Amino acid sequence: MGKNRGLAIDYLLLIPGVGFIVLFIGSSIFITITQSFGILSVTGKSQFTVANWVTIFHDKESLDSILFSLKMGLMSSIGTLLFAFPVALFLRKGGAGKRFLASLIKIPLFIPALVAAFLIINLISYHGIVNEALLAVGIIKKPLRMLNDKFGWGVVAIQVWKNLPFVLLILSSSLASIRDDTIDAARNLGAGTFSVLFRIYVPLAMPGILVSMILMFIKAFGDFAIMSVAGPTYPPSIALRMRNTATLFQEWDKAAVLGVIIILTTLLITWIYSRLAEFVTGGK
Amino acid sequence: MSRLILRDLVKNFDNVAAVSHVSLEVEEGEFVTLLGPSGCGKTTTLRTIAGFYQPDQGEIYFNDRLMNNIPPAKRNTAMCFQSYALFPHMNVWDNIAFGLKMRKIPQAEQKTRVDKALEMMSLSGMEKRMPAQLSGGQQQRVALARAIVTQPDILLFDEPLSNLDAKLRVQVRVEIKEMQKRLGITSIYVTHDQDEALAISDRIVVMNQGHIEQVGDPQSIYLHPTTSFVAGFIGLANILSGRIVAREGTRVQLELPFGRLWAFVGDLRAAVGDTVKFSFRPENVVQYRGGAANRVEATILHAIFMGDAIDLFLDAEGTRLRAHAESTAHLKPGDTAAFGIDETAFQFLE
Repeated sequence: MGKNRGLAIDYLLLIPGVGFIVLFIGSSIFITITQSFGILSVTGKSQFTVANWVTIFHDKESLDSILFSLKMGLMSSIGTLLFAFPVALFLRKGGAGKRFLASLIKIPLFIPALVAAFLIINLISYHGIVNEALLAVGIIKKPLRMLNDKFGWGVVAIQVWKNLPFVLLILSSSLASIRDDTIDAARNLGAGTFSVLFRIYVPLAMPGILVSMILMFIKAFGDFAIMSVAGPTYPPSIALRMRNTATLFQEWDKAAVLGVIIILTTLLITWIYSRLAEFVTGGK
Repeated sequence: MSRLILRDLVKNFDNVAAVSHVSLEVEEGEFVTLLGPSGCGKTTTLRTIAGFYQPDQGEIYFNDRLMNNIPPAKRNTAMCFQSYALFPHMNVWDNIAFGLKMRKIPQAEQKTRVDKALEMMSLSGMEKRMPAQLSGGQQQRVALARAIVTQPDILLFDEPLSNLDAKLRVQVRVEIKEMQKRLGITSIYVTHDQDEALAISDRIVVMNQGHIEQVGDPQSIYLHPTTSFVAGFIGLANILSGRIVAREGTRVQLELPFGRLWAFVGDLRAAVGDTVKFSFRPENVVQYRGGAANRVEATILHAIFMGDAIDLFLDAEGTRLRAHAESTAHLKPGDTAAFGIDETAFQFLE
């Protein structure tokens, strides 16, 4: 009896946290999914249909948006990793200016994405600081298009800058768990800098690398703020298209399809990464 | 295989001398132990030999080759770490083969050498296990296999047994010694455990506060300590000082608060009137049965039964002494008894 009552109280205490997730987030995801099939629709009559899905997948513009967002997710996660990993390695080893660098690099954490986007615009816009400086020095003849460019370099640059400290935190804790003895043992057994990096640091930091890449991908793939400021005019990102579909064209059911695509892609990528993690860490 | 020569080695950390003016020559195939309390500089010396630290002064030679500027990866030493330092993401096979892969040894030879090392360390059949799935003793053996498989010039041991339980420690140290003798690899072994040092070494280097106190084979280190640090650190010792009041050939008479003691001085150059420092072991202070040159009356403060002997804490007119009695003796605190000290038991210290 007493034991059961204890258990009941445990569950009661969980309600504010778990209850909120189930009630509001769970239900809204559920409604998004049903809406994409025309059920519980807010605009038309409620009726099961796959027409919305068929339309989206036959619409070149929608597919372009999906592909563009995938590309941005991938590029941003790889880009951030490439910038963050060397810094994390440096911070692990220490050296002159370690504390200064560690605090400097955390600055973007305190700046909202949209503000960050506008800050970077000053740097890389058509008449921004970088272009003006390059022109003045004479390295380029005419300004480079780095913002709202077709490829999305501007977006990647801002994503990398904004999320560097976040990824750095994950990588640093991952690298901190590697023992100095392990590194020394590798060097003692004949491993040079390159071998120590790729045979010891990278595989041992792999769980952190994969987690940071998943999180970065999810952030960049579904991003709205940075894409709307620095993204190309065409194609809009999937989140931008979803907003437009819902509010400009009042096609909520089609917007729901895009929403479900974002969720599914995220789940799929997470699943692929976790399989990859199992593979690299020997299935444990 | 290499001779190892350290010449006037100095290593400072933040202006504190971790190793100060250490010079040492280790012969090919010799097993030398660096022994001392924590912070004595033994591990720093070892890591400097491995190349993890750059000496601030002095030279390191393997045979005739100056090693100061050679990176750790190119020194062909192999180190066994206290933590074993196995690569947690590699199985036993890959751990052992790591050094061979780094040296770009052909696959076929890698296989023969790893197989041989596995067999030597009785690890056959465990190739596919991950380090986390092994016991401490097994991890230790993988670490040893990984070290010897590269056929290093010098084997370096950094307190490799301190994470094992007492019984296994004794067993593995015998295994290490046998393996080293069989392979004939020059070995430097760091430990703070005097029993381990006495059991395993060809020669012991006793270190204290960054410098070498005494170098010698286990027997001479134990029987003939030359400094009070060595006398006190290795085994138990009564360390006293007294004035020489008489000399008869190779014997002197020493004046102490509780009486006068005769002692053999060997070739010690000391004159009547000098004050000298000396030590003798508790096992040289036994119940007086006539014969011994020195007789001391003392009160027993504590008597601790150790099984093979009784460990005694004595008070001889204010001077504390340690003594041994046979385990069958009937001695209890408060008793006064006579003890004899053999005149050959005295070791004169710097």
